[in-house]
Amino acid sequence: MATKASVAAKTSKAKKAPVALLGYSLETMEAAKEHNIPFVAVVPEGFDTALKEDGIDVVTWDFYMRNQNSERLSEKLVERGVSHAVPLYEETVEWAGQLNTVLLKDPRAFQRALLFRDKAMMKRNAQMNGIRVGVFEEIHSRDEALAFFEDINEARLRLQEEAPEPVHLKPLSAAGSVGHVFVRTRQDIADLPDDAFPCLAESHLAGQEFSVEAFIHKGKIEFMNITEYVHLGYSQIVPETPKLTKIRPKIRKAIEKLMKAFGIVNGMIHPEYFLDAEGELHFGEVAARVPGGHIFELIQKAHGFNPYAAFLLCSDPNTPKSVLDKFFPKEQDHKIFAANLMVYPRKASIHQLKFPQELADHPYMDRHTMFEPVTSKVAERVGFGNHYGTVFLAGEDPEILRELVQRYEDVDFYE
Amino acid sequence: MSETRKGKNPSPPDPIRVTGPQEQALLDALDAVEQAEAFVKAKYQTEFYRRATDLFENDEGLEFVRRQAHRFDSGGVFHTGPWEHPERLLPELVGGGLRAEGQYPSIEILSELRVLSIAAGESDHPNFTAEQAQSFLRTVMGLNLDLLYGSETEESRLRPKVYAQARRLMGMIEKEISAEGLLEQVLDDIDARVAQRPIDVSLTLKMIEQANNIPAGSNPKLVARLDRFLKATGAPTPLAEKAGSPTNYRNLLAKITPHELENEAKVVGKLMSLTGLSSEYHVALLQHVLKNDETDIIAKALDLTEVGKAHLAQFREQVLELMRLTIHPATSGIIYGFQQMLERMLLSRPEVADGLTKLSNLDLCTSAQQVIKKPLPRGSGISANAVIVGGVVAMLGQPLGVGQGNNPTCQGARALSLWSLHDPGYLLQLLTSAVRDDTVEFLFEGIPIFSRDIGGGVAEGKFDLKLDPVSRILVPHLDRVYDEMMRRAALRGEDPHKWVNPALYGRWVPNSLISPFNLINQTVVGYEDFLRLFYATHHPSYDEGHDLVYPNPVGLLITNVHGRFLGYHAVSIQRVAEDDEGKIRVYFFNPNNEGRQNWGKGVEPSVVGHGEVPGESSLPFDHFAAHLYAFHYNQREVGDPDAVPKEIVTEVTTHAKEGWGEAFTWL
Repeated sequence: MATKASVAAKTSKAKKAPVALLGYSLETMEAAKEHNIPFVAVVPEGFDTALKEDGIDVVTWDFYMRNQNSERLSEKLVERGVSHAVPLYEETVEWAGQLNTVLLKDPRAFQRALLFRDKAMMKRNAQMNGIRVGVFEEIHSRDEALAFFEDINEARLRLQEEAPEPVHLKPLSAAGSVGHVFVRTRQDIADLPDDAFPCLAESHLAGQEFSVEAFIHKGKIEFMNITEYVHLGYSQIVPETPKLTKIRPKIRKAIEKLMKAFGIVNGMIHPEYFLDAEGELHFGEVAARVPGGHIFELIQKAHGFNPYAAFLLCSDPNTPKSVLDKFFPKEQDHKIFAANLMVYPRKASIHQLKFPQELADHPYMDRHTMFEPVTSKVAERVGFGNHYGTVFLAGEDPEILRELVQRYEDVDFYE
Repeated sequence: MSETRKGKNPSPPDPIRVTGPQEQALLDALDAVEQAEAFVKAKYQTEFYRRATDLFENDEGLEFVRRQAHRFDSGGVFHTGPWEHPERLLPELVGGGLRAEGQYPSIEILSELRVLSIAAGESDHPNFTAEQAQSFLRTVMGLNLDLLYGSETEESRLRPKVYAQARRLMGMIEKEISAEGLLEQVLDDIDARVAQRPIDVSLTLKMIEQANNIPAGSNPKLVARLDRFLKATGAPTPLAEKAGSPTNYRNLLAKITPHELENEAKVVGKLMSLTGLSSEYHVALLQHVLKNDETDIIAKALDLTEVGKAHLAQFREQVLELMRLTIHPATSGIIYGFQQMLERMLLSRPEVADGLTKLSNLDLCTSAQQVIKKPLPRGSGISANAVIVGGVVAMLGQPLGVGQGNNPTCQGARALSLWSLHDPGYLLQLLTSAVRDDTVEFLFEGIPIFSRDIGGGVAEGKFDLKLDPVSRILVPHLDRVYDEMMRRAALRGEDPHKWVNPALYGRWVPNSLISPFNLINQTVVGYEDFLRLFYATHHPSYDEGHDLVYPNPVGLLITNVHGRFLGYHAVSIQRVAEDDEGKIRVYFFNPNNEGRQNWGKGVEPSVVGHGEVPGESSLPFDHFAAHLYAFHYNQREVGDPDAVPKEIVTEVTTHAKEGWGEAFTWL
């Protein structure tokens, strides 16, 4: 029989309000369980059955549906007493914004989320806050794309006989590099499909590209990881190698400026920058969700903490400081570097996997994710998403890692 | 077999020493799956599948994974995936899984290793006994003889790794599960195949060849059964055996006495009647006797009855001419068709006799020539005319042996079977047009459709041409015509087959069609009336004597072995009759190449043993009714629907609702 005291104890321990996890991410759900963070999984139809059978609280939602019924999601979650929402995929970012406007009573949460979802607005905001960005324009037609290309080349004083200055075209609201077109010639523009417009046109930024995964709580950076891109879309190293470590303070300042510009108080941001030959930072774009390219797995390997848990802890305004202090290691305490190589077949037709034995036997080899190819016809690349598999490497010497990923980028893993 | 009693402690195999990093990585990955909470196991499964794949590359590795297999089910290696419940596994899917792409071959192998561990009593499963596991694996062996004993193929040469690991697994299963009973099982399967007398026997021939590789043991009965098939498809007599090749056999035949020749002919004829199969030796014998017009010997080599003999005698010249034209080592399979065509006395129909002559001398269009000759071995020295005429002979002899192959063209196969049975002249006319003009013409509600001028088709123009020659030519045309008619009759608010079936198949399809289904929103309305009408038009107890004359093209709802709805399928009701046990059965033609089916909840069409004509499938009337979704009937040939007892209607309705009915809304 429960005594009064125990009842009181139970109520004082007040069941913690669940957090809404937007998108199907087993990693995040697992992290939530491990840290006793109650959650409601908001997943597309079809992902719910197995989760329900295993006792997970699930709400199904079509994140692509935008109409007068959109508010039903927040109604459902309010019913469940959800405290706040965490976006796990690009297309859930504005949903999280809308939900947090309601749940956290943050009137600007939705608008802010829209900034993350519109690359032109994002850059405009960055520019107004004094952050260095390339020249960009929203364009609506092939003619405008051509005009942008001509303007850039005119401004760069390119002569007819020289190779033109390239530009980039990107969809306004897709994850990372999905739909990204690198335009080198006028013909590239002529070859674009009609549905490529409207899009964002951008001048080319040269230099060392890297991303930052900053875990932020109450307006302060709790942990800053730098992911150094060896070859965009192919390989990266976590954390950064010494040439970028030198400018960590400068990068931290840039992140703080970005946080201010975008009003980030709790959560995680994943911006991309270019470091030019003069040592200046140029802002590319920023996302507020789990980054792609297996970066979280690399962070876990190198730093030894679970970044999914970090994301959840930082997203919750009520997480005590002591918990975060205990959770995060020191940024420079990592013993090893982790790298990955995304593998794309190098032939038009492949029949079976042939993993290089020498790489399999290398002491830095961690694991890979390749099975027999699913179809013999190799698909064209969309963004950097549809690689055939990933090789994970880890070791103490980042230069050995760099050499390995560069070498095996040119090796065919399929025959 | 009963060492492993359910509930008794299973005994895991001896632990195996970890010899290298790959083995250690596998164990780590397995630990991770085991330790993960249920909902998150899927996150760790892939890494485990990946690590196992490394080990499948050699015997020791496979053995190492095998030693862990008792942990797979309890650890959740298959949790929430299609392989989760061993009692729901289908042996027919294993071969495809092993040859699949991506991670599927690996999961398939892991699943068989798990079944092996259950079979060996190393792990217990609440719903799958060791005996069931053994029987499952034996069936898997029977269905994958090519992986056990077969040689390399084009596909396996291209993906040697996948095939090597599949063969490695099958070798392990063969080692652990006694192959005893395997030969019997395979022979049963061959028996059931030949009982259906298909025109295309390529699969049967492959199975016989592989059955010959299975250790026979000492059971003389099995040896004799196998021997019969080997003789029917190879050297049939001691003389042929001695000859060693069909050519030598033919030479030897020239040197033997008339009496000995007669005996040779009798043997090949009997073997063919028993199995529906023939060989190049049979061809050699016929070619030898055709040279001398020896009609009597031909009758024996074809094992003709008195009826067949009389027909042969009456149309001697034409039969000999047709045989000389078409019988060839590359077409040895059509000999049975000759026997059956003669028994059907089809040459007495002038449209058939003339049609065959016309086809023999026709100028074939280039595309038809290519399609006809493509599957023949190069340099086989046989004309396209000979092949197509031989193909017609086979189809006319075996109307119920038509199959759709690997194509979604049950409609086309059903049409060919129907015409071959009831309007062979029309079949010849269509075929003539198709091979000469590369088009066939149909009228739909007064407006002509030329197959050449339209695209579309259920198969969308993609055909697997592993079919008999007539189907190879006609099915692509028919598929487009059918699709076009369906398009024209769509959106009329009723099942378009009401108009399409009579237009496509011909005048013997009654114009009225009833279906209780709205296929667009998956609802069922008026099911009871539908059932009563079916009984009142097809069941001899209620149809007041209006028995079926022509095959009735009907639509069935197909379910899997668990009774779950799979899709729609076209079959023809051939007849309704009482079987030996006094049970009313529906005998039907299933254009699927295999009449033996298992539609769950006890509904298993049989192909032999219940009075089926070779090629027919049959089901008890109630079972058939419970899977029906549409049928044609003549409004003036209806018995009394109200005479059908309420209990029958209720029983069939319940059966339907609990099976495919779960996928529909009942209004």
